[in-house]
Amino acid sequence: MPEYTVLEHSHPRVDAWEKVTGQATYAADLHLPGMLACKLLTSPRSHARIVSIDTSRAEKLPGVRAVITGKDFPNTHFGSGGLKDRYIMARDEVYYIGEPVAAVAADDEMTAQEALELIRVEYQDLPAVVSPLDALKSGATVVHSDLPKFEGYGFAAGGPNVCTLLDADRGDVEQAFHEADHIFEDTFRSQGINQGFLEPMACAARVEPNGRLTVWASTQGPYQVRAQLAGVLGMTISNVKVIPMELGGGFGAKLRLAFEAFPALLAIKSGHPVKLVNTREEAFTMNGPRLPTHIHLKTAVKDGRITAREAHSVFDVGAYLGAGPNSGVGHALGAYHIPNFKLRSYGVYTNKLYVGSYRASGVADMTFAVESHMDIIAHKLGVDPLDFRTINAVKEGDQAVGGARTPRNGLQETIQAVKERLGLPKKLTSDNPNEARGVGVALCEWRSGSGPSTASISVNEDGTVSLLTGSVDISGSDTSLAQIAAEALGVKMEQVIVAERDTDLAPFTGPSGGSRIIYSQGKAVQMAAEDTRKKLIALAAERLKLSPEALSCAGGRVYVQDNPPQGFTLGQLARQSLTSKGGPIIGTAALSSMPYTPVFCTHAAEVVVDKGTGQVRVTRYLQAQDVGVAINPMSVEGQLEGGVVQGIGRALTEEIQWDPNTGKVRNPSLATYLMPLAVDMPQVENILIRVPSPDGPFGARAVAEPPGFGPPAAIANAIYDAVGVRIKDLPLSPERVLAALQGKDTEIKMDVEALRRAEAGRG
Amino acid sequence: MKKPLQITVNGEIRQFFAEPYCSLLDALRDELLLTGTKKGCDEGDCGACTVLLNGQAVTSCLVLAHSAHDSQVTTVEGLADHQKLHPVQQAFVDHGGLQCGFCTPGLIMSAVGLLQENPNPTEEEVRFAIGGNLCRCTGYNKVVEAILAAAQAMQNKLKA
Repeated sequence: MPEYTVLEHSHPRVDAWEKVTGQATYAADLHLPGMLACKLLTSPRSHARIVSIDTSRAEKLPGVRAVITGKDFPNTHFGSGGLKDRYIMARDEVYYIGEPVAAVAADDEMTAQEALELIRVEYQDLPAVVSPLDALKSGATVVHSDLPKFEGYGFAAGGPNVCTLLDADRGDVEQAFHEADHIFEDTFRSQGINQGFLEPMACAARVEPNGRLTVWASTQGPYQVRAQLAGVLGMTISNVKVIPMELGGGFGAKLRLAFEAFPALLAIKSGHPVKLVNTREEAFTMNGPRLPTHIHLKTAVKDGRITAREAHSVFDVGAYLGAGPNSGVGHALGAYHIPNFKLRSYGVYTNKLYVGSYRASGVADMTFAVESHMDIIAHKLGVDPLDFRTINAVKEGDQAVGGARTPRNGLQETIQAVKERLGLPKKLTSDNPNEARGVGVALCEWRSGSGPSTASISVNEDGTVSLLTGSVDISGSDTSLAQIAAEALGVKMEQVIVAERDTDLAPFTGPSGGSRIIYSQGKAVQMAAEDTRKKLIALAAERLKLSPEALSCAGGRVYVQDNPPQGFTLGQLARQSLTSKGGPIIGTAALSSMPYTPVFCTHAAEVVVDKGTGQVRVTRYLQAQDVGVAINPMSVEGQLEGGVVQGIGRALTEEIQWDPNTGKVRNPSLATYLMPLAVDMPQVENILIRVPSPDGPFGARAVAEPPGFGPPAAIANAIYDAVGVRIKDLPLSPERVLAALQGKDTEIKMDVEALRRAEAGRG
Repeated sequence: MKKPLQITVNGEIRQFFAEPYCSLLDALRDELLLTGTKKGCDEGDCGACTVLLNGQAVTSCLVLAHSAHDSQVTTVEGLADHQKLHPVQQAFVDHGGLQCGFCTPGLIMSAVGLLQENPNPTEEEVRFAIGGNLCRCTGYNKVVEAILAAAQAMQNKLKA
């Protein structure tokens, strides 16, 4: 590893002081003069026609300043998942319980709440469908009868409610199955999951004297909010300024336009600033979560190697394609090289709250299925599960699903590290006859996120530098970007100022999500720093009358290589630049995409299963991940640990419960939706593997998404190792484990044949 | 109808008006504009609104403002001594015990409450003390490390 002065150091976060003293300002913390409170009226019906809405009584309530319904917005569909399938507020129909139908702005929340109760909405019920597998059947209740008319819709196959179909094919799957020694088939189901951000969605809006709209948002994607908000309001984006506030957790839930349009239109109508703050219940009933996924995998094995895979996955998207299409399809191969494949992934409408993103949508579901399936195959073949994985693992040069060649990576190193640390293979035993212990592993794969990225760095007269990017800080990304700038420019961390930003100030950049900030935004920062360095050196060369090649930039100075005392500090150069030919020094960079770079990790869980209750406890959790280079090891570990704990929640306790007839969320609170607490969690162990990526800044790879993928499969595999039962349905609850221990049929059923027939019929 | 009350917040006597149904959390955030204390659920499940009430860590969303009349309340804004952070705050900074920061004020107040009662807790006691504070970002490892380090630092300071 090269000698770094700033990278690979655990610098405290640049925003740590604000956050530990309570000074960091989140959207709900805004108090603007004359500000009104906004409350939303939502649909109590699963699917219904809106016959009439009467807001007159609400409007007369003292303290109420404005009331809006769907008809107050321009009659334009919008969409955030590639299909324009929805209105920002219901117009003629409602499609799920919880869909916004009206909004009120009043002097305070209590008055706004009271006004909601005075709004009369007459509904005419329509048939609804809640189960995605029911929605898939021919003759099923149709959620959106105008689906073929939606902009972005381009096919018809799989069923009446299929809104997306992703496919990937390679080789001759039929032939490979024909020639196989063994064929394995399994069906898995994963549950609906809430992102669990601690800060409920909040936003505020104000109309400025010049007619422009200012929006304060809790968002990962200010430019996405700006574009979508302008669209639904019928404004130009130049008339909208989005100020991203401190983000209290998003994990994908806050990538797109959420509720900003409601306070915005109410602000336009009332002339006052308006703030909306979701309750925790609304965070469960109005904010797009992940919905259940059914996955069927069929795998051919010949001579101990996987030769073909067929995968059918059905992603419930709820009432609208709020995110996606799901990114799960290609991940049906897992971290393995499989020469022949046929992968199909369906997005299916149901009358439930629409789908959102969550830490690599769909991939966690797919990893649970793939890594459970790999374990099942290994056990049936009588080979060690980790050895079976090692043999089939993807290698440098292998072609990835999308066609790109797999570059150099540390997958094998992660496997080896886990094997050595845990002493695998091993058999765990328990002294307690009522308990059994087991160990399970899982490999995870993801890619480093790409997308438009920009950065600029200006040099100040005192030798500090100001870094401006449009990215919202998540998980300490501002700190890591500052470290990249400092390293590339040869200055100290203390000399880097990370500028506050909004959509007027900073150039366009993609949203903070999908593990793209360090890899792509970080690259832009590195390039901007190199541009800055070049300009500093050019100015110094001009002043010293030397060639730029004779100079170096490090330690906060530009100096003559052969005579280091001769040179200028950055502050001197910045001051000189004010009167120089080129003017003040500013380095910039922009890029639109980055080459494919995979991220791999190996996870292992040790569990104790109570044979009497089915209760599962994770006693040890280990992960090894190839991070390329750890820009900030403390921050990297924080990502890895947080991801794993989210994954343990997904594995064991978290599940959105829907009423099977109405699609109503039955557990919209943190007392009934069970996220991991400190008392439940083991001390997570991390091993950082550093195989530099060819293209990332200083060789960095993405970090954040994959840690959440491994736990469901690693724990399911550990349960199998402990008690010999295979749970294919998440969460791995005591009820499910006990039912399996009692020999009940816990297999998941899904009619894959019908999907194959539908596809054949289309051709 | 708003009624008058008096609470000593972070050492200052504050006299103000609040509705009878107003929670201590809403009084702090909306009446006194001390927005460091966070509202994550408003039903006592997440712990983001934890403050010290007469030295005890409580979820301020479950306390009526008027029931705190004539009491001493410490919020996250009241911990640092001018430019010097409280040892618990400093440990959160140094050990990466925070990410998005939304649960951080509540976690810090729970930790301060714990260390007042039990200056030398075990890891298990720390985990139990923050058992009512949900954090979605960190996975708790670094939070626990930070609190243990803060306990150590405060002990060392006492000995010194």
